[in-house]
Amino acid sequence: MRNRQSAIRPHGHPAVAVAALLLFSVPAWADGNPTQGKSKSAMCEGCHGIVGYRTAYPDVYPVPKLGGQAADYLAKALQDYKSGARAHPTMRGIAAGLSDQDIADLAAYYSDPGKRAP
Amino acid sequence: MMTRSRTSSVARRIALRLLKAAAVCASLGASLSVLAHDEAAAGKKAEQLCATCHGPNGNKPMMPGLPTPRLAGQQYEYLRQALTAYHDGSRKDPMMSAMAQPLTPREIDDLAWYFSRQQGLTTKY
Repeated sequence: MRNRQSAIRPHGHPAVAVAALLLFSVPAWADGNPTQGKSKSAMCEGCHGIVGYRTAYPDVYPVPKLGGQAADYLAKALQDYKSGARAHPTMRGIAAGLSDQDIADLAAYYSDPGKRAP
Repeated sequence: MMTRSRTSSVARRIALRLLKAAAVCASLGASLSVLAHDEAAAGKKAEQLCATCHGPNGNKPMMPGLPTPRLAGQQYEYLRQALTAYHDGSRKDPMMSAMAQPLTPREIDDLAWYFSRQQGLTTKY
């Protein structure tokens, strides 16, 4: 009991309770195939495959690194762009054309960091 | 006529030198502001606020069933942009909106800087 308390207390935040509820309500994504993902990654590489590449619109900042990212988070990010929950115009355009299987495959491919630039 | 054009070229050279000096000052200022991060303090805040979900050094998401990104090694400006968007409500997430709302711009900057300096994510191509 004491351990559980100490894990939760530092936040002391209602968000922790919300997160606990979410644990049981997140939809299961399709299983991804990293080999299929690689063959679908051409449209990602033009930005995410270039070290330090910067977006130009709507704000200028370096695009996020994807290599080694958590697969479920990558899938959620793409689903959120597809649904419009996330707003970046370029990513919304790209995600709009992806099926659930494409998203799962890309997430599986990028979740493996490979031997690439840090 | 001659004198006037010489005067204006001298003026131009002085203006150019002033501009260069200003540029040097600006870049010095920028590098000083990077030096001004306190790694120990930023690390402690990251541990207190973020580690329960994002793992030690933001390197191992630990919330099964709740998609949580790895932060270690992510681009500094991207992290700052993401946290700022959660802070101002332009990006929404039940957990992150609540976590980022009380942060100051300075705290956002410190956390983004701290996670960007950890070994982790890669540019895959």
